[in-house]
Amino acid sequence: MKKALKNPGVQAFVASVICIILGLLIGYIVLLFINPEGAAESIINVIKNFFTWSRANKKLQQFGNTLSKTMPLLMCSLSILFAYKVGLFNIGAAGQYVAGSCACLYAALAWGWGWLPCMIFAIVAGAVLGAVVGMLKSYCNVNEVISGIMLNWISLYLTNTLLTKVKEVASPYTMYIKDVNPSALLPNAGLDKLFNGNKYITIAVPLALFIAIAVSIILNRTKLGYELKATGSNKNAAKYAGMAEKRNIVLTLVIAGGLAGLGAAMLYLTGYMRWECTQSSVPGMGFNGIAAAFLGGLNPIGAIFASFFIQHITDGGQYVNTNFYSSQISDLISSVIIYLCGFVLFIKLTMTGMINRSEEKKLQKIKAASSEGGDR
Amino acid sequence: MLLLIQYTLIFSSVLTLVALGGCISEHSGVINLGLEGIMVMGALGGALMMRYLGTSSALVMVLLVVLAAIVFGMLYSCLLGVASINFKADQTLVGTAMNLLATAAATVFVKAINTAANPDDHSSEIEYVRARKMFITNINGFEFNWFMLIAVLAVIFVAVMLYKTKFGLRLMACGEHPQAADSVGINVYKMRWSGVLLSGAFGGLGGICYILAGVSIWKFENGVAGFGFLALAVMIFGQWQPIRIALAALLFGLFRALSNTYVGFPTLASLNLPGNVYNMMPYIVSLIVLAFTSKTSRAPKAEGIPYDKGSR
Amino acid sequence: MEPYAIEMLHITKRFPGIVANDDITLQLKKGEIHALLGENGAGKSTLMSVLFGLYQPEEGIIKKDGAEVKINDPNDANALGIGMVHQHFKLVECFTVLDNIIMGVEPCKMGFLQKKEAREKVLALSEKYGLKVDPDAKIEDITVGMQQRTEILKMLYRDNEILIFDEPTAVLTPQEISELMQIMKSLAAEGKSILFISHKLNEIMEVADRCSVLRKGKYIGTVNTKDTTIEELSAMMVGRNVNFHVEKKPATPGDVVLSIENMTVASKVHKNNAVKNVSLKVRAGEIVCIAGIDGNGQSEFVYGLSGLEPLVSGKITLCGKDMTASSIRQKSILGISHIPEDRHKHGLVLDYSLEDNLVLQTYFEPQFTSKWGFLLRKNIREYAEKLIDQYDVRSGQGPATTARSMSGGNQQKAIIAREIDKAPELLIAVQPTRGLDVGAIEYIHKQLVAQRDAGKAVLLVSLELDEVMDVPDRILVMYEGEIVGELDPKKTTQEELGLYMAGAKRDEVTV
Repeated sequence: MKKALKNPGVQAFVASVICIILGLLIGYIVLLFINPEGAAESIINVIKNFFTWSRANKKLQQFGNTLSKTMPLLMCSLSILFAYKVGLFNIGAAGQYVAGSCACLYAALAWGWGWLPCMIFAIVAGAVLGAVVGMLKSYCNVNEVISGIMLNWISLYLTNTLLTKVKEVASPYTMYIKDVNPSALLPNAGLDKLFNGNKYITIAVPLALFIAIAVSIILNRTKLGYELKATGSNKNAAKYAGMAEKRNIVLTLVIAGGLAGLGAAMLYLTGYMRWECTQSSVPGMGFNGIAAAFLGGLNPIGAIFASFFIQHITDGGQYVNTNFYSSQISDLISSVIIYLCGFVLFIKLTMTGMINRSEEKKLQKIKAASSEGGDR
Repeated sequence: MLLLIQYTLIFSSVLTLVALGGCISEHSGVINLGLEGIMVMGALGGALMMRYLGTSSALVMVLLVVLAAIVFGMLYSCLLGVASINFKADQTLVGTAMNLLATAAATVFVKAINTAANPDDHSSEIEYVRARKMFITNINGFEFNWFMLIAVLAVIFVAVMLYKTKFGLRLMACGEHPQAADSVGINVYKMRWSGVLLSGAFGGLGGICYILAGVSIWKFENGVAGFGFLALAVMIFGQWQPIRIALAALLFGLFRALSNTYVGFPTLASLNLPGNVYNMMPYIVSLIVLAFTSKTSRAPKAEGIPYDKGSR
Repeated sequence: MEPYAIEMLHITKRFPGIVANDDITLQLKKGEIHALLGENGAGKSTLMSVLFGLYQPEEGIIKKDGAEVKINDPNDANALGIGMVHQHFKLVECFTVLDNIIMGVEPCKMGFLQKKEAREKVLALSEKYGLKVDPDAKIEDITVGMQQRTEILKMLYRDNEILIFDEPTAVLTPQEISELMQIMKSLAAEGKSILFISHKLNEIMEVADRCSVLRKGKYIGTVNTKDTTIEELSAMMVGRNVNFHVEKKPATPGDVVLSIENMTVASKVHKNNAVKNVSLKVRAGEIVCIAGIDGNGQSEFVYGLSGLEPLVSGKITLCGKDMTASSIRQKSILGISHIPEDRHKHGLVLDYSLEDNLVLQTYFEPQFTSKWGFLLRKNIREYAEKLIDQYDVRSGQGPATTARSMSGGNQQKAIIAREIDKAPELLIAVQPTRGLDVGAIEYIHKQLVAQRDAGKAVLLVSLELDEVMDVPDRILVMYEGEIVGELDPKKTTQEELGLYMAGAKRDEVTV
């Protein structure tokens, strides 16, 4: 048991579970304050999400919905954790996601491109935005968080302007891809049948999982990962070792931006959602990605489960009793979880400290027993 | 034209107040990326006060609303203080979480009270038409807002505090070289806490000022549209010095004001640009400004580095 | 018996797995200059931390003027009149001298600073003790010597009676050192008690009345400097008779390996160039040392040579090839190895394992990276094990140990193994022995000489006079970014070297 707790992977898992439990607890307390009557039921519904449905078919269908929205979230969280490993806080993932949405929807609706070129275009759009942040960082010393935020807003307004050209006349939403250009919809490849014919389950699901594994391999097994992590851990040593540390920063953000852009394509090209051209705030996907990245212990495989969990409770928000509560309670819970992730280092240190102390005590006992009466 | 000046001044006041908050916090050694969230909370505090205060004289109203915003901002900034000073958490992560949390919490809370008052009301809006009038004096068509005066006073207050008092000297020492401060008996944790709480107060003030700037009803789902981050850009452009921050805020305020008033300028209106272009302007300007000013930054040397008494 | 100003009696301080101070007694008389001698890691700084209340000892007591006192934090120490000039100054760079002096004990009315009276007191003190400073200058603009005087004034302003100097001469020029010695003597004559922490035996012999020696956490003894010799002190410090002289055969220089012509490098700190028009040559089979006081452009010179900083002008040739425009990576591949000045800043990725650090300069070679860009972990492990064995790098978990958790000496050994095993034509070693104990220093000096004997060119940059005199075959002295003299270590003396280093003497050096 103690030996297992010393393992950094196990520690990360335990720390994440603590964050989740505390986050849900705080959410519950908030609900209690608003109205004690339905609080317990509502928080349980948030946790249950699609399990609240009694019919198995419906359950499967809703599970599919959550799953299809998990994939873009996973991409955003990979974007953030990839950059974080290189010492960069890519809060601009939200804007890169927006840029990706703009690119794939515009290409699909205005130019009638097929799904693959649309998807690639989304990746490029996200990557370009990432490159801007990277270049500002490495050549002008601009803090990537601040430039990222500025670009989030710029890309939001730009996207609203551009996508207005492909919106429905009567509503602020973009047109349906399935009506205008069905070839831009991601293929289902038969996966929809596994989820009671949920047509939003597409190749995006296996693709996203594959990319998560690929990111893990790149970070841990390749020369590129070795260089990027060295740059993130000690910029000066990377330069001393002849690595192009400025290029590495730009490259990292290009990759991170591309991941976030791809995430957008994985959502909008399923047709599950449409862009609202009058929206006044940046979609939360990129920000929730931060939660998923940290909750997953900054590990790409951990991010898969963390992303699913975050999306799960976000979707669960719609099952609260709306007579008393609002669905934003999920946002509240996930932001509390992000906040608590700031304490993960402390939790881990405490765990290690506790183990070391108890081991030392044991050691001293053994020593005392063996040197009975003897003076050291 | 008058309208442009009026909006420039009020938005500059917001940016000045919030940037001063950021400046104090960073001088103590803590990067406050949660200003955006603190603004939301300050706005919430002020708006609730306006909603529940009922009838009272203008002076009492202004004082109480300001007080509520300050208190809410300070309370909320404790989240940053606890995490970054006592638990040495990643300040970027915590600040980001605070921004998200503030909007979510304010929305949940306002919706809850709206729904409690009227079961059919699921909006996240608070209205304060009458209260807002008390902050405003109309001088020949120019809406003078008391916050403009408050911002000017705040600049003087912060400048004097930083450069003329014992507190300021000690505060800045903690942001520049906490080990040096500690070695002469200054409690670094205490000073950093003071810095964070003061930045909470100024951030909260900025928040209430922001929602009173142009409208009489606020939808809390919208947050404060990146103003907290614009204020950080103002702070960097102002090189962490109160007077320069005020000047930088005027520039940024002007661009922000243009997006509200461009329709009134025939030359601008005739360009027929989409409104979004003007919305983007402050952010684009701040990116460009940052690109040129960040290279030679005079940021406090120890900012963002958690202070650990043990390691010296 | 006269009471001591401060006494630390039978202090024992343990940390997990180590006894940092084992029954140490230190007694400081009123008005004396008392040296505390010991190697790095001997327990000097732990003892001082106990005196300042940063650590609480498990055993032992502290007495002031004969009465037992309890010191819980630095404020208690301040209240008892104990002040310290730290090795790394505790000064706020963007504040003025005056602000730094008054910080913590600011004279004020209603919270507003009253600087006028403070200024008068500071000026009076600086007059009295000959501590020349400009109270309104900013710390970042003044010389290191003046910064140190600011630190001393900080203690005097607080009316401290017990003054501790932690390795105060490391950063000073010989002139400044002798000035400091004078100041210390005049302070002692005024009745202040001074504790002088050092490992420089000459200085201790010159200025101290008595000297206490620590070794590996244990108290060895206290001697009167009048009655002892440098040899005796060094034997007490190290525990055996040390042969400070480096064994080596006469050099047999071969072809020119490195040739630098008119190199100029800009400064990051001030507007002037840090390196001005420097030309030099290093041949195969010789060790050339660049000597000088810290901050005279040596670091920038190495940065310019290795490519970490761009050149303003100049030409670098390695083995006849022009490398002026080459990248760091190209220089490394073509035969320059670089043991950097700051092993934590440049030399290591502290969060990486030892094995990953050992391939920091070579990870991209086909031996370690496959055609598809995957790291060949097995080869890296084998190579790391080979180096660890060959260079005796000790660590907790072998190749998988995190670099951060290794001792300074073993971190340095790892860097040296990595750089030497690359089989370079030119080995640049910048302060390779900084902060290491005598054993490690000997080891590193042997490695440098071995490289020379293998026909490599070695360029050593050093601040330690002993090292400068013993290791190289040729000394070039750098002063304010220029080479001001070339000396033969066999013919010159430390005094002559000192004159060059201080800029008091200079030759036209032609290469």
